[in-house]
Amino acid sequence: MPESTRRTIMKALGALALTAGIAPLRPAFAEDAGLTLAFIPQENPEKLLGDIEVITAYLSGRIGVPVQGFVTLDHAAAIEALRSGTADISFAGALPYVFAHEIFGAEILLAEVYRGSSTYTARLFVRKDSGIETLADLRGKTAAFADPISESGYLYPLDILASAGLLEPSADPHVFFREVYFAGGYQQAIQAVANGLVDVAGVSEFSDMLLTPAQQTDIRWVAESRPIPSHAVIARPSLDADLKSAFKQAMLDLNTPENRYLLKHVYGPDGYVLADHEAYREVTEIARRYGLLG
Amino acid sequence: MSSCEQLFTCLQRRVQGVLAAAVVMIAVVQPAAAHIQAEAPWHAIAYAYRNTLFMLNLDPVDWGLIERMLTTDDGGRILGRPASDRLIELDQTAGTAHWQAIETALMAENAAALHAATTRALSSAIRQHLANAAAALEQPGLAGAEIDQAQALYRALADGIRETDPEGFRALGLAWLELASSVRQSGVIGDDGLPADREAFSSARALLASYLSQNFEPAAFAPRGRYEPIPEQRFLADPFAKMAPWLPPGSDINDQDPLPRLVLNFEEQGIDERDVFLVAFGDMLFDSPEIFGDPAKSLGLACSTCHNRSDANQRFYIGGISPHPGAIDVDGSFFNARFNDHRSDPLDIPSLRGLRFTAPYGRDGRFASLRDFTRNVIVNEFKGPEPSPLILDALIAYMLEFDFLPAPHLERDGRLKVTASEAAKRGEVLFTKAFPSMNGQSCASCHSPGSHFTDNHVHDIGSAGTGAASGFSGAFDTPTLLGTLHTAPYFHDGRFSTLAEVVAWKDETFGLGLDEAEKSDLTAYLQAVGEGADPYQIFDEEATPFRLMVEELSVFLSTLDTLIPERDREHADLLLRTVAGDMELDASAMSNRDARDKTLTLAERLWQLRDMVLREAWDEAVVAWKDYQEMADAYDSELR
Repeated sequence: MPESTRRTIMKALGALALTAGIAPLRPAFAEDAGLTLAFIPQENPEKLLGDIEVITAYLSGRIGVPVQGFVTLDHAAAIEALRSGTADISFAGALPYVFAHEIFGAEILLAEVYRGSSTYTARLFVRKDSGIETLADLRGKTAAFADPISESGYLYPLDILASAGLLEPSADPHVFFREVYFAGGYQQAIQAVANGLVDVAGVSEFSDMLLTPAQQTDIRWVAESRPIPSHAVIARPSLDADLKSAFKQAMLDLNTPENRYLLKHVYGPDGYVLADHEAYREVTEIARRYGLLG
Repeated sequence: MSSCEQLFTCLQRRVQGVLAAAVVMIAVVQPAAAHIQAEAPWHAIAYAYRNTLFMLNLDPVDWGLIERMLTTDDGGRILGRPASDRLIELDQTAGTAHWQAIETALMAENAAALHAATTRALSSAIRQHLANAAAALEQPGLAGAEIDQAQALYRALADGIRETDPEGFRALGLAWLELASSVRQSGVIGDDGLPADREAFSSARALLASYLSQNFEPAAFAPRGRYEPIPEQRFLADPFAKMAPWLPPGSDINDQDPLPRLVLNFEEQGIDERDVFLVAFGDMLFDSPEIFGDPAKSLGLACSTCHNRSDANQRFYIGGISPHPGAIDVDGSFFNARFNDHRSDPLDIPSLRGLRFTAPYGRDGRFASLRDFTRNVIVNEFKGPEPSPLILDALIAYMLEFDFLPAPHLERDGRLKVTASEAAKRGEVLFTKAFPSMNGQSCASCHSPGSHFTDNHVHDIGSAGTGAASGFSGAFDTPTLLGTLHTAPYFHDGRFSTLAEVVAWKDETFGLGLDEAEKSDLTAYLQAVGEGADPYQIFDEEATPFRLMVEELSVFLSTLDTLIPERDREHADLLLRTVAGDMELDASAMSNRDARDKTLTLAERLWQLRDMVLREAWDEAVVAWKDYQEMADAYDSELR
């Protein structure tokens, strides 16, 4: 982790309020009268607006209180919205969640299930014609990651190298790679490999599916991370227990055959399961080891 | 053939679902065959731009359609506001007048001017978003969102640049990476501690802006006969530069969802397809883009793209040549300029179930012979080389095996079973009743229950409406009613979405004088006739779409047992190109992703086998084919 990034995040922990202006205003109903959901822009924001309409209508009907949602600019704004109470509940990756938990006690409610699992992995992808066979071959190469605060798009890929003894956990990855890019997302990072712009991408195991079938035949992965707990749905501290419980049940009901079609409006997992912090403890530990958390 | 689209879609959603930032598909309009992935949503301006170019290349140009593309949401295919709104807004912000230039070109119906105006507008919009990002560097989230917008617009140019200026594409690709990185140094939680890397940002921005200005906003564009997003400098250097065939955003050549069940007569009789060479080879040809010419071939279109599983592909859609999903104007300029009939006469794709009973062929019954019809599709509609007699014989042998879905409410002679509903039975009486307003004929006169609900004739029943250009251009062949419950919409132009609407039209047009109850009964009868048993393929953990593909490819390959001993170089080559190509593309749809390399290894073996066939090294080929089969058997349990 570059020194600058580490320092930045530590500072950011104390400077959350500065991003409050990014989040839209809280809808104009009383604090206890409803739920407000923050949606991170993982998909086309305009598609998300349509999704929010569908899913909040479902949740309102199920929970019996008005449910509203808004798209945040990024993870930061979603976490900040929870901290400030602008949102009650947010969708979040494992790493943003553990930050929110450590900093202001955000609570995990649910975890996504995909392919029968509530974990996934990160992989290091290279072009087949790159001549790269082993992790050691990556030394001095150029790398693309998704984002500096992404568990599968940065932290766990670094952990692959650290576990292999190729990189000190706290070291700047520039000592190993010739160049490091944060491409902005899995899509951009893996495209950079497929297009031969960089040598390796450290991204979610499923990222190759974002390539065209023809591009997929050009790449392979050379290493895989330990399991990463999947994306979560998290709540601000002290959210009303009954509301929380009703929300969880409504989300779990998405797993039923008659409601499954709605899952595509919440980023498209196979379903949800109840989650507790224990499963995310390792993420916290790794984040600490890499200097992301004090 | 790819029956894996559902998987693609769900995987794609999942991957998007774990993205660390907004997904912007930098990927291009890929000619990725029928195995195409579900597209990530396009930015409205990029979408409208590529569709505009595509439509400018059609002859004749439909100016009304282009105007709608630029000013509407294209029937909901564009998310959010239409391109015009956004361009006007950008003009207001930047003090430019791109939209005005576009409107002027549209009014003048000037293709060159519209190409120039839309290209400049798109390029300028990218630069504007980069400028917005530059102004927002204090707010990394906002700057990142502006870069995402710029990249979403760049997507409309990316494939043109990549294909004609690889070095430029690489430099720009690195610049986009620099740009994204420069605003993402400060982490997820926003920050006042460390500003974005301004230096890296501005040098990357300068490179992008300069390339864009030079190549997509020149003072004047050189004259050209074809409009594509090719960098102007490259075009000036090589006026013959062109891109691989591409389809406009919003096009959909994926398989149906749910996937129809295929009913083949020989299978019903317990015969193994591997034992029927001609049918197995025809099955392969039906799935092969290799029998067509470009653009269809490069786009991966095959007979099965439109008639997958012998049924109609109701989602097939290409902007500009499909008025709606499930319809296409095949004799326009896009697929074969020589065959351009200069008429806008799109037709709904018909189901081919029961094909041997439904002559004549073509919605307007233009061919009495299936062989003539098939040759016309290959050579004239899709610009393929003259097919060999074996190719035609095999395709026809295969297509003649297409059976209707079993009709659960019908006796063998087409009468309703006694177990049918009372409403349907009342409808059957109406169906066979002679109406004076129909010259004493009944519905059953043409849709003869004893002859698979057709009379195999062509009639003008006025269904072309005002669309008929002459007294003889409104005639269409009598479609069978079997299976129609699953093949909406109805009529040659797909104007009716339900059978009830069809009944209402008949009643009104022919003055049948049916009351509401009678119309309802007649509809119930049509529904009973049109119902097919188990119309869709059932998949489960074991029987996956990929598994279906593996089995189909294995059947195709079984024809090598005939082709290699017969030393049939031409057809073995065609087979191997088709199957190896298909296998590579379908590998991406495996649920057991870790075995994907095994599928790719098998495909590689087939390419090697093809080399032997081309060299006529038949002894080698015999060994290689045997080795392949052993390898395929060894991998079989993992190929799912």
